[in-house]
Amino acid sequence: MNQRLPPRTALFGGLLLWFAVLGGVLSWTVHSLAAWSIDELTCEAGHDNLAGFPLTGAVALAVLLPAAGAATALVVSVLAWRRLRPGPRADDDRSLGRAHLLAVVGLWLNVLALAMIVLGGVAALVLPPCQR
Amino acid sequence: MTPDGIRTAFGPAGLTTEEPVGRSTAWWGVTLFVATEGTVFAALLGSYFYLRFQHGAPWPPDGIARPELLLPLIMTAVLVPSSLPVVWAESGIRRGRRWQLRAGLLATLAMGGTFLGLQGVEYHGLLREFTVTTNVYGSLFYVITTFHGAHVTVGLLMVCWLLAASLHDGSGARRREQVRVVAYYWHFVDAVWVAVLFTVYLSPRL
Amino acid sequence: MASSTAACDTGPGPEAMASLSRHWAEAPTLRNWFATVDHKRIGRRYLVTAGVFFGLAGASAVALRTQLAGPEAGILSAWEYNQLFTMHGTAMIFLFSTPMLFGFGNFLVPLMIGARDMAFPRLNAFGYWVFLFAGLFMWASVPAGAAPDGGWFAYVPLTDERNSPGLHLDVYTLGLLFLGVSTTAGAINFIVTALKLRAPGMSLNRVPIFVWAVVATSFMVLFALPVLNLDNVLLFLDRRFDTRFFDPGRGGNVLLWQHLFWIFGHPDVYIIVMPALGIVSAVLPVFCRRGIVGYPLIVFSIVAIAIISFGVWVHHMFATGLPQLSYGFFSAASTIITIPSGLQIFAWLATMLTGRIVVRVPFLFVVGFLVTFVVGGVTGVMFALTAFDQQITDTYFVVAHFHYVLFGGAVFPILAGLYYWLPKLTGRMAGERLGRWAFGLVFVGMNLTFLPMHVSGLLGMPRRVYTYPGGLGWDPWNLLATVGAYVLAVGLLLVVAGVIHALRRGEPAPDDPWGGDSLEWATSSPPKPYNFPVIPRVHSLHPVWDPRTAESTGLGADGDRILAEGRGTLLTSELDGRYERAVRMPQETLKPLVAALGLLIVFLGLLLAGYWVAAAGAALVVVTLGAWLWPPRQTPEEADPAVGGGAV
Repeated sequence: MNQRLPPRTALFGGLLLWFAVLGGVLSWTVHSLAAWSIDELTCEAGHDNLAGFPLTGAVALAVLLPAAGAATALVVSVLAWRRLRPGPRADDDRSLGRAHLLAVVGLWLNVLALAMIVLGGVAALVLPPCQR
Repeated sequence: MTPDGIRTAFGPAGLTTEEPVGRSTAWWGVTLFVATEGTVFAALLGSYFYLRFQHGAPWPPDGIARPELLLPLIMTAVLVPSSLPVVWAESGIRRGRRWQLRAGLLATLAMGGTFLGLQGVEYHGLLREFTVTTNVYGSLFYVITTFHGAHVTVGLLMVCWLLAASLHDGSGARRREQVRVVAYYWHFVDAVWVAVLFTVYLSPRL
Repeated sequence: MASSTAACDTGPGPEAMASLSRHWAEAPTLRNWFATVDHKRIGRRYLVTAGVFFGLAGASAVALRTQLAGPEAGILSAWEYNQLFTMHGTAMIFLFSTPMLFGFGNFLVPLMIGARDMAFPRLNAFGYWVFLFAGLFMWASVPAGAAPDGGWFAYVPLTDERNSPGLHLDVYTLGLLFLGVSTTAGAINFIVTALKLRAPGMSLNRVPIFVWAVVATSFMVLFALPVLNLDNVLLFLDRRFDTRFFDPGRGGNVLLWQHLFWIFGHPDVYIIVMPALGIVSAVLPVFCRRGIVGYPLIVFSIVAIAIISFGVWVHHMFATGLPQLSYGFFSAASTIITIPSGLQIFAWLATMLTGRIVVRVPFLFVVGFLVTFVVGGVTGVMFALTAFDQQITDTYFVVAHFHYVLFGGAVFPILAGLYYWLPKLTGRMAGERLGRWAFGLVFVGMNLTFLPMHVSGLLGMPRRVYTYPGGLGWDPWNLLATVGAYVLAVGLLLVVAGVIHALRRGEPAPDDPWGGDSLEWATSSPPKPYNFPVIPRVHSLHPVWDPRTAESTGLGADGDRILAEGRGTLLTSELDGRYERAVRMPQETLKPLVAALGLLIVFLGLLLAGYWVAAAGAALVVVTLGAWLWPPRQTPEEADPAVGGGAV
């Protein structure tokens, strides 16, 4: 059904769907690695700032930016899920069915990813960064 | 892309575009292999930083000098551009020019061999200062660089195999897929070297 | 539900059938026995070999339980006990669970997706031989008195050269590295097969859950196993060549072992359980006479578990003194990962609630799985209470917990799968009565063995002790557990007896004895070497229940999907399963076996410090691989212009 699209538009659409599927968990990966290593290494070195920048601020950045990424992916996946809903007689349009499945999978993945990032952010609010 | 194009891409027609599509089994095989190999290197370099930060200053410990940069930079200048003749060889076989394939592969072989030779020169000098058993820094330094060197060696064996095969039979065009696989692997080995250069040689100076 | 054998009458003509048989049949010679590349034979070999290793590891467990039946027993020395419990754990995790499920995957994935073999059949054969040799390599250390003795997770510094001299831990590190080659090769093969060889029309939303599970598992293997391999390389170098990675005296750090081990280890729990859950999702709906409830959510749950499991490893190390905040980041993942896991349980319960249940032996084992797995999950939640966790860490309570999870989560589904697919594997039906007896004994024996361990653990009995003094209140619980172990062993022997009886005297199996919905039931039992006379066309999630698929292999069969000239199968597109082109599959070859033998020489050389022998083995591997790819494989268009082409 997409032969009539110009190749770059089609490619962009295909990649957009993958962003809707994996954007959230990629953001969560970035969040875990960044927040963990910033916290761990700075505390290990015995100070609570990162080249003059307060550690809490750095951790907050490592929470907020990925959270924004995951939220964007969530919005994209909701839109994709709504636009790809197969019609009543769409039994045989397998591209639509496949893309809809991926959108559903992505939607829930993004919800979980966002929840994990937010929970990490709550931990950063509650706990002093270097308490052992 | 126009806003209109973006809107189209975000419609059902755009979102249902198949991507990735039409790759060969060999492409998928080598991609997954490179992914798992890349994970080994990621874990190895991650272990370097973990051990370094757990160790604390001074790094390198026990009075070992910070690594010299001249030789590693020359090695980089030899290895990283060696991806270019591979690309050139690949385009050669796509156009059915066997001489271009062979010349490109030979150039890669020469550059990779030079890299390994320079690594030997470097080891020769450094082994007098510290060895793999001196301390954790020595273990990390030699194991990481040797492990990468082993990958270069495997890549060179693949290149040798392709060269021998291209000399052996007439129709080089058949081997497009295999040249592609070797090219992927070689680019991977090059990219890993950049990560090794940063970790082992540059990061102690940060 | 259409009969599938009818396809042969109206589908490809007798000439095409004869041509298919001629090209695909492997002559029954001794050479071909070693040279086979048929995924069905290789899959069966995986199952049998992993079953033998299961028997050895189970016999070790019975010996351990006999020693522990009463206080101060002297059947095993501490030295023997350490080796046996380490081999029991290591073999169950690495040599039984994963290879067993890879065996099911090997046999079933190509059949379920309507392909004629795996994407890389020779790599598949290579993977099997490496698995076999690695297993023998590790088990041979037991009679040699050099078996690993540091527990299955081999914590440094207990396992360094000073504290564990001898070959024991070298067998462990090298054996697992050797095995890792096989597992990695298998994982790559599964992913590529599932991406490229699906029957035309099988878009991602029509892929059976079992295949999703195998692919997700394979992705986890690709990203988790390298970390374990690296860990083992570093330990081997420390032990053999005096590197200092784990030596605190020279700047090393023992915690590095734990980090790397659990980055692998936590995903590995799911690597073991995930394909087993896939078996449950394949077996359960068939005995509820309906499709599985919530297919998209189960797919989501599989993908989510595969990804999030990489973010929880630190929860194995909550007692190692990291900043509290960094625990916070990992606790979030550890909490959230329970959601997709629970989702699957509820999907199965809903399937049972809304279906019409038919109780047969495979279904019984699935129910056994549900009960024991949930019990294991409940005790797992208890560990989240830190105070409780610190009280029972390293006691028999932990042993009880993970045996409920792993016996419940892996062995019950494997047995369910064995009874369910035995007709397809062997062409014979297993006896129903013997199967029910086996289930009863296994279920009772399993609970009798592991339930008392909860109590002895709460009473403070530490794990991994070779004996204990009487009068601590542990005696009755240990005796009960030992009795349970014998009951369990009898139950498992009945399973083996059932399989042997089926092979010898079993009724011949029809093509589709259970009324299953996935494509393996659309071909004969056991399948012909080419699997499908016509590669089917898929129109829905339940192709065997779909008359359009039956028509596509009968009247609607076209030459594009028969591919009678030479060994051919179809490549389709990655996501939507659109027809791309036909490809040639390789012939039988001995080279995978020779390459695996070369690797065996490498690892034996490394173990016994014969480094020149190891180098010679490596040279053999390189030369064999060079010859393997020589002469270069032809693309199908060049090999046979008639095979290529074709539209959607």
